[in-house]
This record gives sequence, C-alpha cells and structure tokens, in this order.
Amino acid sequence: MTTDHDGVRELLAAWAFDALSPAERAAVPLHLAECASCAAQARRLRETVRLLDGPASQGPAPDGEVGDSGSRNVLSAALTRRPAAPRVAAHAAPYAAAVSGLTALLPEADGRWGTPVVHDWDAHATVAHLLAADEHLALLLGLDARVPPSRTEKLGWARAWERRTADVIAHEHGRTPEETVAAWSAQARELLATPEALDRARDPERAGRAVTLTGVRLPVADHFLVRAFETWIHTDDLGRALGLNVPPPPEEHLRQLVRLAVRILGTALGPSAPPVLLTVTGGDAWVLGSESEPVRAELTLDPVDFCLLVGGRQAPREVPRRETGDTAAVSAVLQRAASLAWL
Amino acid sequence: MDSEERAPADADLHGRLVYGDESALAEAYTAYGALVRRVAARVTRSPAAAEDVAQEVFAQLWSRPYAFDARRGSLRTWLSLLAHRRAVDWVRGEARHRKDVRADDSALHAIPEPGPGPDETVVDRERALLLHSALAELPQPQREVVHLAYFAGRSYRQAAVELGIPEGTAKTRLRTALRTLAETLADPTDPVWERGA
Repeated sequence: MTTDHDGVRELLAAWAFDALSPAERAAVPLHLAECASCAAQARRLRETVRLLDGPASQGPAPDGEVGDSGSRNVLSAALTRRPAAPRVAAHAAPYAAAVSGLTALLPEADGRWGTPVVHDWDAHATVAHLLAADEHLALLLGLDARVPPSRTEKLGWARAWERRTADVIAHEHGRTPEETVAAWSAQARELLATPEALDRARDPERAGRAVTLTGVRLPVADHFLVRAFETWIHTDDLGRALGLNVPPPPEEHLRQLVRLAVRILGTALGPSAPPVLLTVTGGDAWVLGSESEPVRAELTLDPVDFCLLVGGRQAPREVPRRETGDTAAVSAVLQRAASLAWL
Repeated sequence: MDSEERAPADADLHGRLVYGDESALAEAYTAYGALVRRVAARVTRSPAAAEDVAQEVFAQLWSRPYAFDARRGSLRTWLSLLAHRRAVDWVRGEARHRKDVRADDSALHAIPEPGPGPDETVVDRERALLLHSALAELPQPQREVVHLAYFAGRSYRQAAVELGIPEGTAKTRLRTALRTLAETLADPTDPVWERGA
C-alpha cells in the first residue's frame, strides 16, 4: 500500500464536511483510488452530507444575506420582548442597567422561587426586599407606595428599614412571585422616569438636592447610585443561589459605584484615622484618613471585590488584596468598609 | 479569533446584553446574523422561515441572556446550535402540517415540481429532516464541531482552535458525529414524522 490508510480513514468525515486543509484534501483521492473499503466509506459519508444539504431539485439553499429591513425586524422583535435599559442621566444609568440586569435574571427563577438566597430570604423575598428598599427613594421623590404602610414612626433608620422589609416580604408572600416582580419592576420604571433621574444638570432642586436615606445624607443623584449598588448586589445573590454567573456592572458604572463607596468610607473613617493609600485596580487612588500624617500603608483591591466587601459579601480578612505597610491600619480600613453594609 | 481572544469579547458582549445595552444586541446581530440565517436557511430551505428563526434566536438571546454562559462556549456556536434547533422545530411543524394536508387530498402529489420526480424530492426532504433531527440530538461537544465545520465553513483544525480542544479530538468528534448520522439513515423503521417534536 503506497498511501497512509489509517491517516486517511481518520480524515474521511472531515473530508466529507469539506473541513480539510488543501494539503490533506489532496491526499484523500490518491488513497481512495487504491482502497475499496475507504472508498465505500467515503461515498457513504459524502452521501450523508449531501442529504443533509437537502433535495438538489430545489437548488442551492438560500444564503444568509438580507437587507436592512430584515435586520430592523430582528432587532425590534427582540426589543418588544424585553425593553432596553431606559436612557437617563449619568447618575441614574447604573440603576437603569442594574434594573435591566435583574429583569433579565428573574425568568430563570421560574419554578425555583423558594430557593434560599441570603439572610433568611428566598428568591421571592429577595425581590420583595428590593421593592421595600427602592420604596424609600420612591416616596421621597413623590411616588406612591405599592404596599400598605408600616408603623415605623419611632424607630431609627436601621430598625425602620428592617421593619419595612419584613412587612413587605410578609405582604408579598401573600401574592405570587409574578405579582411581586411586576410591583418591583413598575416602581423601578417610575423611579427612572422621575425628573430627578433625567436631570443631567443635577439641579439643586432636583438630582442635586441632598436628602437623608439609610442614615446617609447625599444628593438624590448619589442615592440613585446606592439603589444601583444594592440592586446589583442582590442580583448577584440571586445568581449565586440559582447557579448563574452574574457579570459585573459595565466598567463606567462600576467606577461610579466605587467612587461613591470610597467617599462614604472616607467619611466613616473620619479625619484622624491612620492614613492608608487605597488603590482600586484600573481606577483611581485615594488617601483615606488623616491628612496631616505620612501614609502608613497601601491597599490595592479589585473594583468588584471592593464593592462586595462594602456590600457585606466578602469578609474583611478574606477579601483578595495586595497590601504593604502597617497591617493594623489596613485592617481598620477593611473592617470599616465591611461595616458599611446594610444590605 | 482563537478561544483565548474570543472569551473576553464574548463575556463583554454578554455583560452588555445582560445590562440592557441595545447596542450590544445590534453588535451580536452584525457579527452572527448571517450565520444564524445561513443555518436556518440550510435546514428550512425557506428565506421566510429563516427570517422567523433569526428573529426568534436573537429575541431569545436578548430576553433570556442567562441561557448563554461565556464560560461554557462561544457565542458563535451557541447561536448556531440554537438556530439549528429552532429551524428543525420549524421543519417538523411544517412536515406535520404537510402530512395532514396530504392525508386529506394528496395535495403534495398534485403540485408538479421541477427536476427529479416529486417522490424523490419528498424522500430527500424527509431524509434531510431525519438527519437534521438526529444532528440536533447529538451530544453538544460533537454538535459544536459539526456546526463549525458544516455551517461556519471552518476546517477541523480551525474548529479545534476555536473550541480550545486538540485537533485529534475535533477530528474524532466529526467522525463519530457523521457516522451516527449515516447510521440514522440506515435504520428504515425510523418514523420520521413522529420523532419527538
């Protein structure tokens, strides 16, 4: 035998699919001419591919080319099934994206609403919690509550926050998950349609107005970022519970979230803490703590890990990081960051 | 583009789809729309049906982006596989419909067709459907290589690079897959019309 029987035989399927390099393709007919068993096999495989192509009498299958109208149809058909994130001012864009991201995830919870997610919440209760958590900003911006009010007059913000979540979860457990999703989704849509969400100029009467929510006094614009942060963290909780990988927010949004969290962390540490240089990978660097002393330590964190730490989803000891210098100073920053979590 | 370059690009596109960025949908369509239509047209042999399948495939990518996981394969093969499955479903639906009509008034035989006699065309059409149904049932690793070779026009070596598997493995998977398909045809008792729609 002058040609490579075993080698060609192994290539016959790829040959039938026309998936060989030119050199390999040239070797096949030489061998088929002298090997009846390979020739029979080759005929059989080629015939299978020919039948896969369909009836010859109908001519070649139409190719994939279409005009602009076909492309418009495809895109508009998709957008009727799930709207794109609404176009809003930069400070509300991360919340718009986070709402869209959770909306995309929720159909995956179908039939699994009882899955434990975080704290003692199942998937249904987690959405109910977001309905309650977003409501604080919604009421402040003049929207109506979707769940009967709770008695929280004499409570501090943290207790009132917990009470409202507990009441809304209890209320929503009397409804279907679909109803809870619809209520959360409608409230989020209304929030994103408020003048404050659309106010690009951050007017002091609108998005620039400082208000206190969850114990922090911030411009309304920043409270939209807080809503984005919490929505993403709980979407990530849900993804983990359902075994789905939730991608991190788009880079620019992540940067906005990190900047806000660093500002809150700086305030929480106060002006006399031992100074630490905090670097967030791919972004900025800040000196936290005292301005009158030399920097005692350097701490570098990935932006997602930093957010998970602030969101209470990474323990201060375990969060992946690079650090140099005074260990106690670094530890104080990490502990303080983790203590900000209210989620 | 090899598997290492592809993965971050797919992951980035997927992230933007998840977060509701409609420009990501347009990009996915620009990159893979022609492939999806080609797969659908090859199976359905109808531009109108290919249009319907493409609409369904991209609507699904956009409305249920979590069905795709960038860690488990490329968007190209995922969309190709989905288009194929939807196209096979479409042809099965058509076949059932045609069978109903034929049972009523032999309408199929009443329509003259060019080329080989109508019987031959009908038989070939049935066989093509049988083969595509069998292809849709193959284990996913085999289907991925077949899709890259047969629909995306890749050599088995290119397919191996794209899937991040050894060349020998790609070759073996093509061979196992095509032999399984050939054997499907050898089984004359297979009731093509009723297969698990």
